[in-house]
Amino acid sequence: MVDIYLQAFATVLMPQNLIAMTLGALWGLLAGALPGISTSMGVVLLLSFTYTLSPMTAFVLLIGAYLGGITGGSITSILFGIPGEPSSVPTVIEGHALAKQGRAAYAMWVYLLCSIFGGLFSVFVMILATPLIANFALRFGPPEYFALTVLGLSVVSGLSGGSMLKGFLSCFFGLFLATVGTDGITGEERFTFDTVTLLGGINFVVAMVGLLAVSEIFIEAEEPFKEYKGGVEYRGLLGELPPFSLFKKYWLTMIRSPIIGTIVGALPGAGATIAAFLAYGEAARTAKHEPEKFGKGAVEGLMAAECANNASTGGSMTILLSLGIPGSNTTAMLVAAFMIHGMQPGPLLLSTRPDIIYGIFVAMLLTNLLLLVLTGTAIRLFLELNRLPYSVFSAAIMILCVIGAFGLNNSVDDLFLMFGFSVIGYFMRKFGVPVAPCILALVLGDLAELSLRRSLLLSGGSPLGLVSSPISVILLAGALFSIVYPLFKKPKMLDGV
Amino acid sequence: MKKGEIVFFAICVAFFGFMFYEGLDLAGQGRAGEIGSGLWPLLAIGASALFSVALLISSVKKYRGEGTAEDRTPEAIAEQKRQRITVTLSVVTFLIYMVVIPWLGFIFSTLVYIPVFALALGERRKSVLLISPFLLTGIIVAVFAKFITIPFPKGVGIFAEFSRLFY
Repeated sequence: MVDIYLQAFATVLMPQNLIAMTLGALWGLLAGALPGISTSMGVVLLLSFTYTLSPMTAFVLLIGAYLGGITGGSITSILFGIPGEPSSVPTVIEGHALAKQGRAAYAMWVYLLCSIFGGLFSVFVMILATPLIANFALRFGPPEYFALTVLGLSVVSGLSGGSMLKGFLSCFFGLFLATVGTDGITGEERFTFDTVTLLGGINFVVAMVGLLAVSEIFIEAEEPFKEYKGGVEYRGLLGELPPFSLFKKYWLTMIRSPIIGTIVGALPGAGATIAAFLAYGEAARTAKHEPEKFGKGAVEGLMAAECANNASTGGSMTILLSLGIPGSNTTAMLVAAFMIHGMQPGPLLLSTRPDIIYGIFVAMLLTNLLLLVLTGTAIRLFLELNRLPYSVFSAAIMILCVIGAFGLNNSVDDLFLMFGFSVIGYFMRKFGVPVAPCILALVLGDLAELSLRRSLLLSGGSPLGLVSSPISVILLAGALFSIVYPLFKKPKMLDGV
Repeated sequence: MKKGEIVFFAICVAFFGFMFYEGLDLAGQGRAGEIGSGLWPLLAIGASALFSVALLISSVKKYRGEGTAEDRTPEAIAEQKRQRITVTLSVVTFLIYMVVIPWLGFIFSTLVYIPVFALALGERRKSVLLISPFLLTGIIVAVFAKFITIPFPKGVGIFAEFSRLFY
């Protein structure tokens, strides 16, 4: 076993592979940071370059882009309030709030260290517990998926902001938005009002950019004119690096979040978004230190979300490598990469090409460390962006949002949809309705509905089918608990509603 | 603000009420033994409508309980007016930008949008208003259109010809 790992290290550390890893990570960071360019799109764009590369170099390049994309999604989230990825929405809520308090550098270091910790944790779990996680994920059928989505939505809705009613209104609005378009089972058109634009449904990137990023600029426009966005103070590495005591203080979050991330990442179709929201919701629910700061710049929330979304990469890769099932869009792209090089991911690959499997393990380990160095070096550079005149800075964010929304389908209609969501987002924020549950519900709505309908089909229409397995019972009980718990724990949350 | 909240939740009630009415057409559609296309959206809209009604009632109660008398200083009224004007201008300029972008193409519309939006936010420095549109547009076209090759709106007629020189 040691020989295999030593050989894998030797292969991955070859100059061409190190260059590929660095280029992939840089590209991934850029793709993840820009709204409208998802990590999966970043990986797809690199796929065509891998035809001529050796299999190991190709995978090192793509792994770099994958992990870089997940890590980079949080850079613009913290600095500008633009989520590069749906999984970065909790990071926008807490990280951007910290940045607005003049603690951008601190938030960036917390995010980076937690991301890398989560990533490394999941790689070690992937190496040690691949068979266990794969078996557990295989037990998930439609009822379990439905229960998982209900848990994710209830955790976020129940704890988002000062009013549960507003959280649930936002959540159900998101679930409604997810039903717009063609029904995946019957082919029926729903709420399309005979428009072609809505036939394919509402793209969550368009909604996300409008609800979060553009509406943020409208909210900021209410403030008196300022020449610059905010503080860009950087007191050097030692001055900004979070103390070890911070991680000691939140040790439970640091352990729980990567576990959630790895397990949820291993579930096909779940991925980094549910992982980040679940871990964030759990951190908010069980917060002992400064729970009132959630939504206003809670370091614990930022840590939970970042640990979990990066940890999901290891979980996704585990079931890809052991079962050949892609756990996320991006790992689905990696299946294509395997096929380009004449391989089929799955149980047989471990015995036929152990060099590739162990090489991928080592590449993921080293890429996480490389990302720590690359992003850590660039933090000061990212912060300098705040020196742009505020008016131009806002215009630049608006233009980036337009590019992101237009680039998805090359469609002007998406721009108008984004504009509509930005106005809705502005009024939601103005009247204290949180936008995060709406976005999560929009992302998960399809999965929730299809899982429910498939469960009912399997059980012949009996709702008891939804609680037919211990896993779904536990998950649904968790959902119920997450709704009921805040009512007793924080009764003031319902004041005035 | 309280009046605004009442109006907001009243609009929510009306919107979800209308959508529920529209969704009733979907009820019962689907194959035998299947719950159909309508149940899930009706559940989501119905719950949204109920929450909106609850929030509307709560807002009205709060408004009545706290009374309508608001001791606002002339400065506060002027500040609120300034906020409304700035936000309205930002929203309108953004909307116009999206309306003209398919016709004028990305470069021309962005060159005009940046200074107009900056002016709407209160920017008055001439150097910023004159230099930033060219600098920002140039960087964005170079990075996104040339390097990453993301599709940009080209515009029509002469504007499309101009855009093709760059992307």
